[in-house]
Amino acid sequence: METAYGTAWRRDDLVACDLPARRLPIGYVDTETTGLHGGTGTYVFAIAICRPMAAGLQVVQFFLPDPASESAFLAATAAALSSCETIASYNGRRFDLPLLATRWVMARMRADFQPPPHVDLLDLTRSLLRTRIGSCSLRAVEDRLLGFERDDDLPGWLVPEAYLSYVRGRGGGQLEAALRHNRQDVVSLHHLHQRLMVRLAGDDVDMRAGDWLSLGRHLLRQGRRADGWRALRNSAELLEDEHSITAAIELARRLTRRGAARSAQALLEWTAGRLPPHPHLILARARLLEWRLADLALALDLVERSLASGAGDRDFRRDLERRRARLRRRLNRRLDGQRQRLQLASGDRGAEDVHQVRVERSSGLRRDPLERLYR
Amino acid sequence: MGAVPALPAFQPTDFPGEVTLDHTIPERAAETTPLPDDVAPALRAALSARGIDRLYTHQAAAWRAVRAGRHLVVVTPTASGKTLCYNLPVLQRILEEPQARALYLFPTKALAQDQLAELGAMARSLPVQLRADTYDGDTPAGQRNAVREAGHVVLTNPDMLHTGVLPHHTRWRKLFSNLAYVVIDELHTYRGVFGSQVANVLRRLRRICAFYGSSPRFICASATIANPRELAQRLLEEDGVELLDRSGAPRGERRLVFYNPPLVDRALGVRRSSLLEARRIAAPWIKRGVQTIVFCRSRLQVEVMLSYLRASLAPSLDAGRRVRGYRAGYLPLARREIEGGLRSGEVTGVVSTNALELGIDIGSLQAAVLAGYPGTIASTWQQLGRAGRRSGSVAVFVASSSPLDQFIVRHPEYFLGASPEEGLIDPDNLLVQAGHLQAGLFELPFDEGERFGRADVRALLDLFVEDGVASRAGGRWFWSQEAFPAEAVSLRRMAADNVVIIDSSPPRPQVIGEMDQFTAPVLLHEEAIYLHEGAQYHVDRLDWEEKKAYVRPVEVDYYTDALMSVNVNVLDTFASREEAGLERAHGEVKLTSVAAMFKKIRFHTHENIGSGPISIPEQTLHTTAYWMGVAPELSRALPRDRFEAALQGLAHAIRHVASLRLMCDPRDLGSVAEVRSPATQRPTVTVYEVYPGGVGYAGRLFELHEELLRGTAGLIRECPCTAGCPSCIGPLHTIEGAKEACLRLLSVNALAA
Repeated sequence: METAYGTAWRRDDLVACDLPARRLPIGYVDTETTGLHGGTGTYVFAIAICRPMAAGLQVVQFFLPDPASESAFLAATAAALSSCETIASYNGRRFDLPLLATRWVMARMRADFQPPPHVDLLDLTRSLLRTRIGSCSLRAVEDRLLGFERDDDLPGWLVPEAYLSYVRGRGGGQLEAALRHNRQDVVSLHHLHQRLMVRLAGDDVDMRAGDWLSLGRHLLRQGRRADGWRALRNSAELLEDEHSITAAIELARRLTRRGAARSAQALLEWTAGRLPPHPHLILARARLLEWRLADLALALDLVERSLASGAGDRDFRRDLERRRARLRRRLNRRLDGQRQRLQLASGDRGAEDVHQVRVERSSGLRRDPLERLYR
Repeated sequence: MGAVPALPAFQPTDFPGEVTLDHTIPERAAETTPLPDDVAPALRAALSARGIDRLYTHQAAAWRAVRAGRHLVVVTPTASGKTLCYNLPVLQRILEEPQARALYLFPTKALAQDQLAELGAMARSLPVQLRADTYDGDTPAGQRNAVREAGHVVLTNPDMLHTGVLPHHTRWRKLFSNLAYVVIDELHTYRGVFGSQVANVLRRLRRICAFYGSSPRFICASATIANPRELAQRLLEEDGVELLDRSGAPRGERRLVFYNPPLVDRALGVRRSSLLEARRIAAPWIKRGVQTIVFCRSRLQVEVMLSYLRASLAPSLDAGRRVRGYRAGYLPLARREIEGGLRSGEVTGVVSTNALELGIDIGSLQAAVLAGYPGTIASTWQQLGRAGRRSGSVAVFVASSSPLDQFIVRHPEYFLGASPEEGLIDPDNLLVQAGHLQAGLFELPFDEGERFGRADVRALLDLFVEDGVASRAGGRWFWSQEAFPAEAVSLRRMAADNVVIIDSSPPRPQVIGEMDQFTAPVLLHEEAIYLHEGAQYHVDRLDWEEKKAYVRPVEVDYYTDALMSVNVNVLDTFASREEAGLERAHGEVKLTSVAAMFKKIRFHTHENIGSGPISIPEQTLHTTAYWMGVAPELSRALPRDRFEAALQGLAHAIRHVASLRLMCDPRDLGSVAEVRSPATQRPTVTVYEVYPGGVGYAGRLFELHEELLRGTAGLIRECPCTAGCPSCIGPLHTIEGAKEACLRLLSVNALAA
């Protein structure tokens, strides 16, 4: 295609695929570069933009045939980008966009490089999926989330060399594979985004405690408190593993901050009653009892029972021992005070009874904690 | 300021050695002039607030030259108010034009830090928001963007400019588009290989400035060297650099003493250790509260001296706090603390390598002791100049047994009369230039007919295309590699992956320092006693793959010293001459060195109490060398062991004479003796450049051949020892007749030449 800077190489494809009824007005963007170091000597040699159309996915690709025609390449790219309302990329915030901005300066383009508003799907993928798939490379995500395996794909680390050997005039045997790789990436990005949207809505079928936890945290960070709360609750209620415990502790922390320390305690007790003992949960309960509810006797009881059970590693037990010593000290000081007051009032109820009353009350709460908490 | 500081005293009769020079440099009054009329009122007020109402004459001259838009080099002694020569015009320009930017280059991070404090204090009393920042490896990632965007003055070092700034110049658009001044302080440090490298970094800097349409003026400051203007002009590739070398700063009266420790063994030429003698001079001063600096030649010596001094002071003083070490392996925070302690007077004694020789502001010291000759006349003057901002100071040079030390201490008139070293650089050294040309190509494509500085690089660029490093399109050359070329070039010998030193003792492992790859095999091999801040550490394990040394504190009465062995492999001979059976040549060589064993040496008595092997992979070095194959018939005429000793003696002596002739640091050269060299097939002595690729010293030695042999013969003949000593033919020769044999070797060869 023609630009003010000369001819740019462009290729158009239409990929047939089933599109959801609600198409997102987003251009999915990915670049191929001559290196991963960044810096002024790293070129962008191909850029693909994928846009959902009525008939399928439109994939536009620009190619830099030689470094001397960079201005035309960038002009054409910028025109295509600015026709998108928003763009999405994978790690574009840190890599692709700064690199394009650098190229823009290097090619002495007029004005500044101003891409449309941008969402980085890597950030989203990391917050939603890291606990599940570990590595968040696009290849890993394709494989483990989209169930898509590339058979004849050129490994990413060979891509720069594929282009550079073409530029040096030493054959471009691998170049077509590299460009195909680039086009495939943006299609994958589209599919990934669809999947992530479903997950964000909480509509994915195979979500486990860890997934709900990630989702809940993400939503809370985004300020979507009600949805985030619900997601954390789902995670806690699944009572699956460590993730459920983490979710319960997170919820308890938020409840406490709101002044609902009793509800927090009820939630933690409910969780503790249904899962094997876990150091984090024990500590969270002990902390809550000691510092928020000031129920030293119950806290001490918990610590002593946990120590007796022999759970946890050395550090954990040392923590518990310190806690026990402090609780005993504080309790004795308080009992002394109480005794003095009781003597003054000539009453005869001891601390043991206070303890009993509290235990009864908290076990009463255990029956249906979650309904009471969230309704 | 509290009480009047104690004055150092030096009574020659108190010492058994020989005082060969006792010279008093007279006091000099200040020459000042009123502030120039065109200094902005705000700046005038800021200066006045710091008690400056007049300028020294050289500061005023610098102001005029910079305001007239000229490139400038200022050469004045330590502590003569050099900083103001560049800060004043830079601040004025920023006041006039808030968009303007300046880049300051210092050879070390510590120096940049120090100047930042100085500049910051000035800037704070100005009515405008002026941002000055250091930008180096210590700058937190979170701050870097702000520095790039908003810093009026960026203080950095050539290494950071080279790998961290230039290759990412688009992020520094504001700086490069508005760059008005580039300040290069400590210009004299940019000589030899380092200078040649920096000259090429500046070529790249100026290409980038041209790309953004700026054309900065250069303001350089230097300690005394023979050819400051030439060095600046060669470094900047500019013809019209103005030179200012008349200082208007006052100077106190100071005393300069050269001291040669007494001979302990006349036959062996062994003198009392310069470290022990230096301690004897410095310890009483420190005890009396005289702020004293002791310069040592190596990190190891710094640590040994530190433990000596602390031992002789304790318990009367809080020795650990009052006497401090200061050298490259310490972490930045510790260094800042020591610098602060020196300024506040809390630290009385400091033991340093040449890190402090550069202009770090530590206030006024009263005494300086140099344990060993620093290697060049320029460094010596700088180190001596550390004492003497006030009258009554004393600087003492204590000679070691090394040939160069002995030459200087026996010929003080040479030292006083000689012009200091020339700063030699060769920006067109092909290896240096090629590395930077690649980095430059990465930064900006090359146009048809474009030069790199003054160099025509067309042929190199075409070579790059052939090698696939570059590609040509539209009449321009483009970088066409995945690699990041600046990373492959190290401006100094310091390699990129340093060995990290970890103290693995409880409560938890702690990083206490780091060391470059080439020094590490010598100081951090397993079972070495590593000395750090005067404390001894035993190296339990050296993980060479991971570049980690695990150490633990110990207290033993010995230290360790490793021996290196070197092999020479000639790759290419540039020129050779064969005359009367003697062959000499220079060319490209590959050296493989390996530290094979170490010795344990007892403190104080210096007796050898054990040894052990070192198992560290060999290191290789590509460089240039000059070698000569000596007449083979001599090897048959002499007993084998005596001949070997003579050959090694020749290698030892010629290296020192060579460094004196070349006016370079003796550490820039190394030498090897081979009884039968694979290259020449005869007994051979090789003098090589320690820096990869070399800077042309080898070629120069080839030309100086005859002079070199004559000088070497003179050194050995005039040495007062009877049978060879460390001051002439080297330390390991107790073989009878080695000195004679060496002289015979030389006479035969000198005749042949």
